[in-house]
Amino acid sequence: MDASYLDLLMAQQEEVTEEATGGGGIWVVADVVDGAVAPVTLEALGAARTLADSLGAYVYSVLLGDSVADGSTPLTTGLAQTLYQAGADGVRVANHPALARFALEPYLEVLAALFEEEQPEVVIFGATAQGQELAPRLAQRMDGGLIEHVVATSLDEATRTVVVTFPVYSGEYFEIAACPEARPQFLTIEPGTFSAPFLDPYRKGEPATLDFEPVEPAVHVVGAADDFEPPPVPLAQATVIVAAGRQAGDFELVQQLAAALGGQVAGDRGARDAGWIGPEQIVDVRGVTVAPQVYVAVGIRGDTFHNAAVEEAKFIAAIHPDPDAPIFQVADLCLEADPAEVLPALLKALT
Amino acid sequence: MRIVVILGQVLDPSGIVIKRRAGRIFVNREEYVLQPADRCALEAALRIKNAALAGLRPSQGVEVVALPRGPLPDDDVLRQALATGADRAVYLTGEGFDGADDAAMARVLAVAVERLGGADLVITGATTFDTGQGQLGPRLAETLGWPQIVGAWQVEAADGRVRVVRQEGSGYVVVNADLPVVITVLPGALKPRYPDGARLINVYRAEDAVEKWDVSDLVSDLVDEAALQPLLEKRGQDFPPERERGVRLSGTPEEMAQALADTLRQRLGRRPATARER
Amino acid sequence: MDFTFAPEHIALRRLVREFAENEMAPLAMEIDREGRVPFETLRKMAKIGLLGVCFPQKYGGMGAGETGYCILMEELGRVCTSTATNVGAHIGIGAMSIYLDGTEEQKQKYLMPLARGEKLGAFVLTEADAGSDAAAIRTRAVRDGNEWVLNGTKTFNTNGSFADVVTVMAVTDPTLGARGGMTAFIVEAGTPGFKVGTHENKMGIRGSSTAELIFEDVRVPHENVLGKVGEGFISFMKTLDMGRLTLGAACLGGAQAALETSVHWAKTRKQFGVALAHKQSVQWMIADMATEVEALRSLVYRVAWLVDTGQPFTQLAAMCKMYGSEVASRAIDVALQIHGGLGYSRDFPIERNFRDARISEIFEGTNEIQRIVIASNIFRQHGVRIRP
Repeated sequence: MDASYLDLLMAQQEEVTEEATGGGGIWVVADVVDGAVAPVTLEALGAARTLADSLGAYVYSVLLGDSVADGSTPLTTGLAQTLYQAGADGVRVANHPALARFALEPYLEVLAALFEEEQPEVVIFGATAQGQELAPRLAQRMDGGLIEHVVATSLDEATRTVVVTFPVYSGEYFEIAACPEARPQFLTIEPGTFSAPFLDPYRKGEPATLDFEPVEPAVHVVGAADDFEPPPVPLAQATVIVAAGRQAGDFELVQQLAAALGGQVAGDRGARDAGWIGPEQIVDVRGVTVAPQVYVAVGIRGDTFHNAAVEEAKFIAAIHPDPDAPIFQVADLCLEADPAEVLPALLKALT
Repeated sequence: MRIVVILGQVLDPSGIVIKRRAGRIFVNREEYVLQPADRCALEAALRIKNAALAGLRPSQGVEVVALPRGPLPDDDVLRQALATGADRAVYLTGEGFDGADDAAMARVLAVAVERLGGADLVITGATTFDTGQGQLGPRLAETLGWPQIVGAWQVEAADGRVRVVRQEGSGYVVVNADLPVVITVLPGALKPRYPDGARLINVYRAEDAVEKWDVSDLVSDLVDEAALQPLLEKRGQDFPPERERGVRLSGTPEEMAQALADTLRQRLGRRPATARER
Repeated sequence: MDFTFAPEHIALRRLVREFAENEMAPLAMEIDREGRVPFETLRKMAKIGLLGVCFPQKYGGMGAGETGYCILMEELGRVCTSTATNVGAHIGIGAMSIYLDGTEEQKQKYLMPLARGEKLGAFVLTEADAGSDAAAIRTRAVRDGNEWVLNGTKTFNTNGSFADVVTVMAVTDPTLGARGGMTAFIVEAGTPGFKVGTHENKMGIRGSSTAELIFEDVRVPHENVLGKVGEGFISFMKTLDMGRLTLGAACLGGAQAALETSVHWAKTRKQFGVALAHKQSVQWMIADMATEVEALRSLVYRVAWLVDTGQPFTQLAAMCKMYGSEVASRAIDVALQIHGGLGYSRDFPIERNFRDARISEIFEGTNEIQRIVIASNIFRQHGVRIRP
């Protein structure tokens, strides 16, 4: 058999036909970012598929947006295919200029009408700007339960209840909770915690277009907030820190790494001596004590006075050429390598 | 103008120790602090009040009323609100109220707002410090039937309109809306003021400084008698694995860099920007 | 016997602790290095009423009583002794002297702005030849019509170099000495002839101002006599008594800080494979330090209660100052030992606290004077008037 025949065979087997709508189902509300389906939506579809398979239910997804400028092919149709490829059994699409970017009232009315009719068992959003606004309002409107920032799910099959895990105190521990009776069960999932499903290119489908009357948003965007600067976060409260030590090599790369991670630059006393940082950026018990979520020590040997000042960091990664460097006793992840060789590759892998 | 601020408290995490291996939380010092985001919400309300009093909007008197975010063991955070400058504070208590979750609270608070005689603005924190949930503000907005602005950095309100700076994508935008609106404020958005000392002493000395309402009076207004029943059921805790320090990566520097990048991305919730790159 | 603090005092402590950690801690090292008074901090305190913490609200104060004042001093002393000194001199002896002995007019005119922190105060007694021997002061006040003319030089004065209002002790009748020969005067800064002399270059509390004050034909209206003519010394003793208690509270804060830092370092620092906390010598140091802190705490707040309930407190206030200053010095000395070489570094707060603590055994009445006061009180209760 040649490849084209195999393709044809696969294509025929993967045509998804919409099952008769009996209501229920596991629904995912899609987020669109930069003209494509957001990764968190794919992750949500993966989670939805797992739940649906155990419950014997179908996975549906709903996509709101607008057509491309020339009006020929609605962008949403192309995106809908991604949803099928990610495992949706059915896709609903609402296509209108009023839905071009997220605004609460227009999106809410479409989804409320849809869910009122479909009566989903579970609705999953990404824990995004869109999800944090829509999920609670829909939940309140429909007397549904809602748990936000979910990082894991399991199923109580007897009661068809989704049991979820969400972080407390930014992940110090986790709470397990569920809404045993309220339906629909709404969840928002934390981006990057569920694995995205394999995108099956042979899986296709015909999205159904939703009819609706567009409503006006109540909140108007006036424009960019040109003269607004968020208050500066002191180093002691920064959540992400990249710190340089004497062996850091090119300090420019350290700064780029901090920018790539959205963090602040700091260093040890060696970095101060090298003139790379100011005295208010020294991580040391004799300087600043820090407690970030992530601390990357680049070329820092890590003496006791430095290490004591980062002991509250939730995660420490250290890069240093000397395998006996004391920093490796406190770091969670140790890279025994020359920062000059690691940083360029690291920056490349992060973009 | 009446601004309702909704405040809650959270256990001070510096007083607890989590033993991962034992799967237990030890509370060494049980002290509660005002939710940081709610404190910023109160600050936002007081700044609006100060702006009005400064004569910028001479026709408006502003009343700031503090309500609780949930069932509270005592009225301390409401007293803190009074000490800091709120005009009134109401503590809610009652039978069957202890377990009320955000869904129930939204209904109770909507009736409480009505009982106050209505409000022009409701401000609360965008997220709770412990559970990271941001539902209450939007749920309340839905029950009130008001618009919402979520995740505010700055709030100004006058002449029946509100002007808010919030994040959009990687930048910041100015949005506005007609009152009434529910606004949620980010923690750390504003530097909260200190309470005035004399006011603090007086508020804490006066036993009846905080008003007390019985929730059953409010619930009878609600259509659904089971309105206080929580939808959410707690089923226990899970603990992250014991921290394993000193894990060495192997391979070439490039391979190590890739592994570190994956870990960092996972930790920071970052993924490639779009699905197309997969 | 109820040892709990009232709700308003618990709330006050929370307010002051937050203020101290957010506003004072970041500046503590800087003001010590630069030798400057943190006026910006004093302004922020004034804004929330802290500079009048113990005075009644009708005089512009906070109305938190002496207990509230001790809480303020403890929390300030825990973070920055220099700032505690500035505040203590302003509230505890400067404004306090007017509160204890002023007429209603004087309270309205001077106490109110001091309590509100709109003006800053100081208490001026010590001279080069009159430290412990306070009765040996020579600054002279001579009546001229409706005014008094002051001449003299005062030394080691806290706050006097920037205060708006000072209360000054001068000799009005050289033949009578302490009993009947001294009078207290309220003097406003800017009065012609009232000058600031040399600033003292101190070992510690370098974020506070200690200076010489010069009075050259300074004319003060008779209505600014504080208390009665000739009874200045007696009224000053009352003021100093109150000041002793609150200095003890500030020392409590310093000792508490030493304890907290020591416990933290003992659990962090590893030597010989274990944290210092597992070494018995360190355990005993911590145990002794903690016990002294607790004893001091009980003493300070019991005396605050005595003051707030109008009971006699002179002897116990002297104990607070004497014991408090020695507990603080011992605590910071042991803390320095526990921190080892790190404690000796100027980039770490211990050395500053070590230098700051020492003055408490000397100013506000040396500990030797305090011991005399305590012993005098004890023996007087047994019918003996000792001559020290």
